[in-house]
Amino acid sequence: MTEPLLQVDDLRVEFRTDEGVVRAVDGVSFDLAPGETLGIVGESGSGKSVTNLAMLGLIPQPPGRISSGRALYRDEDLLTANAQRLSQIRGRHIAMIFQDPMTALNPFLTVEEQLTEVTRLHLRHSHDEAIAHAIDMLEQVGITGADKRVFDYPHQFSGGMRQRVMIAMALSCNPDILIADEPSTALDVTIQAQILDLMKQLQTDHGTSIIMITHDLGVVANICHRVLVMYGGKIVERADVDSLFANPRHPYTLGLLDSVPRWDTDITEKLRVIPGQPPDLANLPPGCAFYPRCSYREDRCQQSVPPAIERPDGGDFACFVDVDNVKPAEERT
Amino acid sequence: MNPTADATSLSRAEQSNASVPLLDVRDLSVHFPFRRGGLLNAQQGFIRAVDGVSFQVAEGETLGIVGESGCGKSTTARAIVKLVRPTGGEVYLDGQRIDRLSDREMLPHRQNIQMIFQDPFASLNPRMTVGNIITEPMHIFHLYDRTQRKLEAMRLMDLVGLDPKFLNRYPHEFSGGQRQRIGIARALAVQPKLIICDEPVSALDVSIQAQVINLLMELQEKLGLAYVFIAHDLAVVRHIAHRVGVMYLGRLVETAPKAELYAHPRHPYTQALLSAAPIPDPVAERERKRIELQGEVPSPEKIYAGCSFADRCPIAEESCRGAQPMLEGGVHQAACFKAEL
Repeated sequence: MTEPLLQVDDLRVEFRTDEGVVRAVDGVSFDLAPGETLGIVGESGSGKSVTNLAMLGLIPQPPGRISSGRALYRDEDLLTANAQRLSQIRGRHIAMIFQDPMTALNPFLTVEEQLTEVTRLHLRHSHDEAIAHAIDMLEQVGITGADKRVFDYPHQFSGGMRQRVMIAMALSCNPDILIADEPSTALDVTIQAQILDLMKQLQTDHGTSIIMITHDLGVVANICHRVLVMYGGKIVERADVDSLFANPRHPYTLGLLDSVPRWDTDITEKLRVIPGQPPDLANLPPGCAFYPRCSYREDRCQQSVPPAIERPDGGDFACFVDVDNVKPAEERT
Repeated sequence: MNPTADATSLSRAEQSNASVPLLDVRDLSVHFPFRRGGLLNAQQGFIRAVDGVSFQVAEGETLGIVGESGCGKSTTARAIVKLVRPTGGEVYLDGQRIDRLSDREMLPHRQNIQMIFQDPFASLNPRMTVGNIITEPMHIFHLYDRTQRKLEAMRLMDLVGLDPKFLNRYPHEFSGGQRQRIGIARALAVQPKLIICDEPVSALDVSIQAQVINLLMELQEKLGLAYVFIAHDLAVVRHIAHRVGVMYLGRLVETAPKAELYAHPRHPYTQALLSAAPIPDPVAERERKRIELQGEVPSPEKIYAGCSFADRCPIAEESCRGAQPMLEGGVHQAACFKAEL
């Protein structure tokens, strides 16, 4: 097995709020192999974004606090690295793209100014080198007339084109890891498909590892190799993408897969739903966080947090119940 | 007895029951004027947000309208309920023309046509309790007395899956999915026949989306409601709609019963849209082929002599640019010269 590029171990992030201490990320461990795309799936408040912000030192402290854990990138712990070292790593070795490219780009600066800033800082490019590189990057992400458009402002680009600019900026220094936080959620389906194709192409060309944070199972099925499913700040299931979709072991994964309508098959009956609301992180129940919404729950689920159980195909899941041999509550009489 | 008079009255009675659709939209247009250039050389132009859209919705039916941002689907919804003024065409509700009515004349018709919005945070007044939000439409239409209104609000809360004991709470105390339920209860308060749903689930988490979709379908069964369901998510629309219309640049380019549309799309834009829509199944995702579209949706201010999709269309010929294709076909209609009928 190849050495992982990134190893996260028992990461815990808390926020102090008026309602008490919120455990946004609660003991998360995972690793990322070179050249792989790892999906992190979950609903709002599941901790999927905070996990990644914490690794890059982007959690404001206070109110946030990283209370434990390590995030080893090439044997260097990002969580204990100082601010100067982190800013050397961010953008150069680990880059990030966000959901909303309009708020992530500076509206007062031309694309050229924003693209050259990274390469001049990290790669010590001269002014001319940096501009040539910026034009090259824009061409790679499929922006036509890049030599002229590089001098435009963000508002002169459409939403899909702005996301391409963001990707060009993130990949300017040829990073090892690209963290993409809902990169296609704000885009139309035809543009989303183009952006996902582009990311796959760039991964093939440069061998970049991608962490894809999303709530969209269609995007996961399209681009990810391996998937982590998060709920209430914890990883509840991990598996390679085919196994996860074919054989979900955690009731939450199962519910999520069942509740998504498909356009390619005719389903006439009602959608299966996960009852209830996403968890309130300030008031998580003891035991399993999914207990209040779970159709397979048992009394012991309320008493202790289920440990990770190995899946036969690699990966693991955190549930006491064997979903194949227990009927869900709605089917019991 | 005059047999001819009898026959006409019979056919009228039939019309009002069976053949008059609940909603009949004919050649609807919404053009927004804009000015460009300086004071002296100013040019007047129009954004053709909606450009000649026609469709009908029967009682108890759901018509889904899909399309990408800027295709005019939301403006169509807003023009039907007159939140924007249509610049052309006719809208009939229950056989009566409503598009030219003044706000005062429109008011009684609003009891039959209600709307649910995308953003459950912006569409509820934060200073009103849930009870007041739901009873306000009853006030406006002088339905029930004071105590009955409260009881009715509690009944509606129960109907949409909210605990009636939260009657005196404020919107911020609810989650996104619960707020959308409040919006649905408000729309139901005046017992409408038709609800226009503008992206009602796209701001919600996946597990909550399914809850709201199921709720809307249950309510349709119980109350015989008709929906115009506007969404960009093709899977959600397939699930909830009976018939689906696809919009591109302000025009309907294809309409069909849903199973037909998704299985045999005729218009090249529908085909491209479906080929790009993600499938939550990694095996299916790997095996499918995508139809690449050139470029992005152009600005709706551009005026086309021919088909507005021709610039991006994989099968367009020179003749497509000469005249505008109209919706053609029986129950499955496509506006394309080259579509196989």
